Order: sequence, then C-alpha cells, then structure tokens
Amino acid sequence: MIIIAPFAQKLRNNKENPKNYAYWNQLVYEIQKFEQVVQVGVTGENQLVDDFRKDLPISELKKLIAECKTWISCDSFFQHLAWSEGKPGIVLWSVSDPLIFGHPENTNLLKNRKYLEPNQFLWWEYVEHKDYKFVDPSEVLKYLK
Amino acid sequence: MSKVLCSVSTRGRYFTTLPLTLQAIINQTKKVDKLIIFDDNDDPQDMRNELVYSYFFQMLDIKKIDWEWRFAEKKGQHFNHQVANTMGFKWVWRVDDDALPEPNVLERLFMYTSDDVGAVGGSILTPPLGGYFESSGLIEDIDKEPNIQWSEIRMMKNVEHLHCSFLYRAGICDYNLKLSRVAHREETLFTYALHKKGYNIIVVPGATTWHLKNPDGGIRSETKKELYHHDEQIFRNFIRAKDKTIIVLNCGMGDHIIFSKILPEIENADVYSCYPEIVPGKSIAEAEHLFGDLDQWNIYKKMDQWNWKSSLENAFRKMYL
Repeated sequence: MIIIAPFAQKLRNNKENPKNYAYWNQLVYEIQKFEQVVQVGVTGENQLVDDFRKDLPISELKKLIAECKTWISCDSFFQHLAWSEGKPGIVLWSVSDPLIFGHPENTNLLKNRKYLEPNQFLWWEYVEHKDYKFVDPSEVLKYLK
Repeated sequence: MSKVLCSVSTRGRYFTTLPLTLQAIINQTKKVDKLIIFDDNDDPQDMRNELVYSYFFQMLDIKKIDWEWRFAEKKGQHFNHQVANTMGFKWVWRVDDDALPEPNVLERLFMYTSDDVGAVGGSILTPPLGGYFESSGLIEDIDKEPNIQWSEIRMMKNVEHLHCSFLYRAGICDYNLKLSRVAHREETLFTYALHKKGYNIIVVPGATTWHLKNPDGGIRSETKKELYHHDEQIFRNFIRAKDKTIIVLNCGMGDHIIFSKILPEIENADVYSCYPEIVPGKSIAEAEHLFGDLDQWNIYKKMDQWNWKSSLENAFRKMYL
C-alpha cells in the first residue's frame, strides 16, 4: 500500500496552492496498476482514489505510515510527519525549496531550481500555480518500480 | 568594515535638547557612517529653515557624514529603533534626544566591540551627581539597586541590561512593538534579549553621556499611568521567565514536527504552541498576553531577515539553541 497526501494547506484566498502537484490523476492511474493507493487529507479536498481517509488524527496517520510501503506527498505537513516516523517517501516539489523545507532521507523530486520562489518565507497566496513547474509522472514512477 | 548607524528618535525637543544632542554626535572623534533622526513630533516641522539646524546639516555634509531626517509614524520610539535595527548596519548607536555624549563616547564604545559582544554602554550621568556606587547590572537586581550606568564606571564589566543610550549589534533581537507609545523599559527588554541570546552586554569606563532628563518631550510628556502599567507588566513577565527559554510556535503543523526534534536539547523550555498534540504547551493567546509582541519568535520572519538558505531545523536551532 502506498499513501498519497496530494494537497497542501488550503490558501486563504481560495486560489490553488502552488505546491499542489499538477499531475496526480495520471500518476495515481499508473500506480494503481501495481499497488493499492490510500489517499489522506482533509474534508473539502478532491478525492483521487476510492480509499480516501479524511481528517485522521495524528495517531491514526502514524499507524497508516507504519503500515505503508512508502508514500508520496507534495510539500506539506505530511512529509514532515512521515519523516519524523522514520518512513522515507517521495516529495514532489515546485516553488518551495527542498534544501530548506525538505529532508534528505526522502526522495525530493524538484524539476528545476529556477522555478523556486525568490522569497521562500512569505505567503504562498501570492504565487501562481503552474503545472510546468512539476516533474512528469514518469519521473516519479521510476522511483517506485 | 563594521558600519555604525547613529539613531536619534525625537519628540517635543526641537528647541531644547535636540540641538545639543546633534552637536555632540557631529563632534564625535569617531565619525558615524550615517545619522538618522526619527521625527516623532505631533506636528513635525521642516528644520532646514531653522538657522542652527541648517548649520548642523551643512556640518554633516562637510564631514561627509550621511544623514537622514525621517518623519516617523508617531507610534513611539521603539518603532523607530526597530527601523534602525533593521537598516543593514552592523552596529547601531542609539542616542536619546536629551543625551549629550562626550566627544570620545562612540570611539570608546566601539573599541570594545567584538564577535561575542551584543551591546556596549558607558556612564549615563545627570547633574547633580550623587556619590559613586557599584551595582551588579543583573536583571534579578533591577528592583534593588540603581542602574549601574548612573554612576561613574571605573572598569569594564559584564551586565545583563543597559539603559538610555548605547551601541548595539543590529539585526539580532527585535524591539518589542507591543509596548505602548511610552515604550517604558524598551531598552532594558531589548538589551536583556541580546544577553539571553548569548551575547555579552558590557559597560565600559571613559565613555560618559550626560542625560539632561528634559521634563518636556519624549516619553516624559506622556502621563497616562495605564500605558506605563501595561509595559511594566510585559517587562515583569519576561523577568519572571528569566531562567527559562521562551518558545513560541506560532506556525504550521509541519513546523511543529520539525521543532519537536530539537526540543529535547533546550533547557528549561517554556512552550507556547498552536498544535499542543504535536508540541505540548500553553496557548498562543497566553503568550501574546504575557509578552506582547510575538514577532521575535516568528521563524519565517527570522529566516527572511537572515536570508536563510539552510534547513528549517537549523533555523530553529539558531533561534533557540
């Protein structure tokens, strides 16, 4: 079983968070050909797979992390929780810097450092979501097989 | 090269002590790299039209001292000091607008700066002089003894807080902007924060500033007792926590998880947390009530200030260890 944590925290201006991976549908479609996928997140987020476990308390998330083979996440709370539980996974980056917000124990897939926001410490509300800033699903699959 | 900004915040003293303060700054044996005057007057004036000021501005130009007269926000001198604190200079020499440093003061204070020094002060004397006394300069003695700077300083000494006018390392600690307009105890809180950060705070001999304690203008023109009481409460809350490391996690869940890795390394942690299920602690509202301004613990603001390139965990280490 692979956990996916597809979405970063909802922005206050309701725009799409620029850290949300752009190609989840394609990626999940490919993964489900060889592995069960469990989605974690909160109420209001798009459901990408049949097994969507919403609003789990941290203790339940930790149990799930312990059970999974690995996990895939955007740059969100989940990657830190899984890191703290000692379970390595894949983080899909775009505009935030894995050298600041990531953990070397994970596979950090960043398409190009030129897409990183110059100021990493202000509000993501002011940054446009751009699909081209993310790696292609085929790149992610290389690390799963 | 360690550049020195001289910062003067003024209110209600255009024609009393401010000209004397400016003259004393202009005539320092060590020139400042820049002089900034924050004009916090209720009715600010264009002082270029005043003869004495006109001469001062010309003297600054002749001495090639960069200067700026900035009309301030009228929120209190702590806001102005915070602007000076973040202007990119390594050192800031703050001089009250009723203080007259003798010509060698900056030169003497600067002589004692080194990598482990956070602030340097000299004697701050007001005529008529009392007798010589020695004080500890420790924060725990603040209610028991006169301020060490109110007497002649005969030898260099490490203390925990300074008063009135001093030279300090900029950009390390913030002024508490939740103090009232009178900013009572603002310099004590600021220098004590530098001490808590691990920097030496020192008083040195041979650097006398005369403090004329002008009853008009400055914070002494504010008479509302509740403002002083408000600021005193914040000050007392900091003092009560003097043996603890105050930790305020006003940030996201992921940030709490990263912080939790360094928590065991922090001695006597007094934690205020947004997510007590991740990092147990008291509420952020309580921290705000006790300490006023929480920006000094805003890890994102700090990383921005530090032009941070390393990990978030290392940023927390820099802030708390």
